[in-house]
Amino acid sequence: MARRKWPTHIVVFLAPAFLVYTVFSVYPLIDTIRLSLYAGDETGQTHFVGLDNFVTLLTDPVWSAPFWNALRNNLLFFAIHIVVQTSIGLALAALLSLPNLKGAGAYRTLLFMPTMLSVVIIGFIWQLILSPLWGIAKGFLSTFGLASLFHPWLGQESTALITVSLISVWQFVGIPMILIYAALINIPDDLIDAATVDGAPAFHIFWQIRLPMIFPTLGVVSILTFVGNFNAFDLIYAMKGAQAGPNGATDILGTFFYRTFFGYQLQAGNPTMGATVATMMLLIILVGVLFYLFGVQRRLQHHLA
Amino acid sequence: MARHRKVNRIAVYAALSFYTLIAIFPIALVLMNSFKTRAAIFGSPLSPPSLATFTLTGFQQVLEKADFVLYFGNSLIVTVVSLALVLLTGAMAAWALGEYRFRGNTLIALYMAIGIMVPIRLGTVSILKMIVAMNLINTLTALILVYTAMGLPLAILILGEFMAQIPRDLREAARCDGVSEYTIFTHVILPLIRPAVATVAVFTMVPIWNDLWFPLILASGAGKQTITLGAQQFIGQYVTNWNAVLSALTLAIAPILILYILFSRHLVRGLTMGAVK
Amino acid sequence: MADVSMRGICKSFGKIEVLHDINLEVKDGEFVVFVGPSGCGKSTALRIIAGLEEITKGELYIGGRLVNEVPPADRGIAMVFQSYALYPHMTVYRNMAFGLKFAKTDKGETDRRVRQAAEILQLTPYLDRKPRDLSGGQRQRVAIGRAIVREPSVFLFDEPLSNLDAALRINTRIEIAKLHRSLNATTIYVTHDQVEAMTLASKIVVLNQGRVEQVGPPLELYHHPQNQFVAGFIGSPKMNFVKGKVLSVDASGVTVEYGEAKPATIPVGGGIARVGDPVTLGIRPEHMGEGAGRGLPLAGTVEAVELLGEASYVHVRREDGTALIARSPGDSQAKVGAKITISTGVEHLHLFHTDGAAFPRHSKADAA
Repeated sequence: MARRKWPTHIVVFLAPAFLVYTVFSVYPLIDTIRLSLYAGDETGQTHFVGLDNFVTLLTDPVWSAPFWNALRNNLLFFAIHIVVQTSIGLALAALLSLPNLKGAGAYRTLLFMPTMLSVVIIGFIWQLILSPLWGIAKGFLSTFGLASLFHPWLGQESTALITVSLISVWQFVGIPMILIYAALINIPDDLIDAATVDGAPAFHIFWQIRLPMIFPTLGVVSILTFVGNFNAFDLIYAMKGAQAGPNGATDILGTFFYRTFFGYQLQAGNPTMGATVATMMLLIILVGVLFYLFGVQRRLQHHLA
Repeated sequence: MARHRKVNRIAVYAALSFYTLIAIFPIALVLMNSFKTRAAIFGSPLSPPSLATFTLTGFQQVLEKADFVLYFGNSLIVTVVSLALVLLTGAMAAWALGEYRFRGNTLIALYMAIGIMVPIRLGTVSILKMIVAMNLINTLTALILVYTAMGLPLAILILGEFMAQIPRDLREAARCDGVSEYTIFTHVILPLIRPAVATVAVFTMVPIWNDLWFPLILASGAGKQTITLGAQQFIGQYVTNWNAVLSALTLAIAPILILYILFSRHLVRGLTMGAVK
Repeated sequence: MADVSMRGICKSFGKIEVLHDINLEVKDGEFVVFVGPSGCGKSTALRIIAGLEEITKGELYIGGRLVNEVPPADRGIAMVFQSYALYPHMTVYRNMAFGLKFAKTDKGETDRRVRQAAEILQLTPYLDRKPRDLSGGQRQRVAIGRAIVREPSVFLFDEPLSNLDAALRINTRIEIAKLHRSLNATTIYVTHDQVEAMTLASKIVVLNQGRVEQVGPPLELYHHPQNQFVAGFIGSPKMNFVKGKVLSVDASGVTVEYGEAKPATIPVGGGIARVGDPVTLGIRPEHMGEGAGRGLPLAGTVEAVELLGEASYVHVRREDGTALIARSPGDSQAKVGAKITISTGVEHLHLFHTDGAAFPRHSKADAA
């Protein structure tokens, strides 16, 4: 019997994507982890230091204070997204998926519009709107006689992070909306009809039939939000600069990573510490993804057919 | 009962319209005011430009002081070339992984999927090192290579799922006719996956066009800025010139806004289809 | 238990009217089957009775009560869906109990009914399973169980067997018939399968393009179809149709020239027929045999012979191109390509006007 021909075509098909992806995505990630175990000296030489960088990052107050601050802020950033963004997205999707809704296409297009735009541009737009100089927000509130409620939300330490988070929610609510909407319209009509014949009120049909059937989608939405939030940078960099002011109030891991790597003002950039921060972020994201894959998704799949 | 239903309907439309207003108000505000005089921007920010308040000074200033046409061209080159590379190499890889059984198939598929969940941004330290070593710093090529790597994992997943729906018989029939594997791919598979291209395009193009991080780090030098970075730099510099800032914002969002409105039907359908799985 | 009455019901989707003036009386305890080709409006009619579609025009009564504006849950109906529509995240037990919760049935009563239904349907061992852990037949029974526990006065079935394989379909058909006998509830059943319709129904409603073509007991539809559509739809293989022309009309029947040497006199009421009118003869394959000996011969060439064992279907094409099928004994000797004459007794013949309406047959044909 003739030997099977070496499957050249498989290699030809696979090689370009495999190479580009390996060289520019996987290798840098692995190399970053490697770099996090090294430290540079004055001459520019790097040498192996084991886990020293991590110890420094977590215990040396110069590093650990901003790191914990950024992590804490990032958790709040994520919490606001999960609660506000998912519930608004769910509500909009539920409304959009109602049968015989006139103009559903137009609503969908307009509601999704902010998501398509650059985070940077969105950041600037909101900065202008909230600016006391222009006074749009203040003027808006005063038409309802609420002018006294106005504060320079972006400038105050106590409100800056929440404001930035809500702006991010405003922009990205389209993603959970579209994903949940797609899941909702894919529920077979028969199920809803059956529940109607069973006498379930609309309210119950939503909570007891439709919602349980989109749990897996809510899981996907959560993990996408998690990865996106712990990787966020653009919005805060655009609105508050690399310093993520006021006084680090809006600093999250992305901006902290940027400052560590490139330096800011007087402090010089530090590639190996940058790599260390990136590795920490990688670990956090990995923990989240694994928790989702083995904790949440399994249970959800068990829950549904 | 019918009346009750009508009231409900009105509430639904009211809620949707209210949120739609929230979604588009900021964008409309900027677009509107970029065509107004400084006095009108501050005097009556909520009214559309009138004959008395209309001006193009902002745009003039932007076009004089910054090369927005160049930025736009850079963004276009980077986005289109990256998208083309992602589509072509992604389709090839998806085909290889889905169609042929070979040792390590599942492993490679998993390997390619890692990038869906792990952001490439976290490898920036090494990417920068590598790009410097390759002497590609401050070039669009650097951006294209990184963005291609970034877009591939999701593209392979979506295209793979789409290819799996192509009836097996089609390829088997071609094989029985003695058509080569390459011809099957280019003449049977590629034409059939055209509908999936819209989905992949949204997922690939939008993040590339809007990205700030990699242009900032890999190509921030004069002449190589993408539109997002260019706008960011310009606004940072002229932050007190409201006409110029508003016009720069308008210029930065106009192209994608126009494209979005033209193709929104396909885009949203693509997104919902992609999300079905 | 209740009767159902549809009076002048019309249904439009946008500008397209899919049901035109449907009038139908379903008596208490009857098993009525809506049958027709796909797109005939039978499912829409059922969904209107269920209350899942609004009525555009006309009145619907269930148990003597006008229910046009009554929500589905308050109509005293229960419905079994084609896809079964089981809630995937609920156990079999909860699937069946779900509807009772909203009917304010107390816990003990709910439990009693669910267990009783499970007993009848042999589902007791599966009560704690989720639908995905059940076979197709079991899911089907859960869907029926969910309807039973509601103790409805009217059962509605929407093509409930179409997702089952052939063997299971026959079993379940018999189960449903048995169930109807024991519960004796009014049942309305939609199918496109005329065998299901014939075997289950006490009354068949044939629908075509949103209109009722004929209503009647299965055998009446078989022996006395009111028009060519019903004649063609009921019976398998389909009735053969042969073009002809009226030569004369008298008390013994209508004499027709139909392309063979001798005209035939068909025992039907002449009614409005006039000499020279074009007509269509209808002959069921099971009433045709090989050879010329049965009174009305038809000549042609054998195109195909299907040997089924207990019978053979001989496909014949006449010179004018008309295709015919005759049901022959299992050992038919017909050869493809050979000339053949097949024939039938005139008492088996149906005769239709060009507009499709049937001439009333002299009823002695029933005995045949």
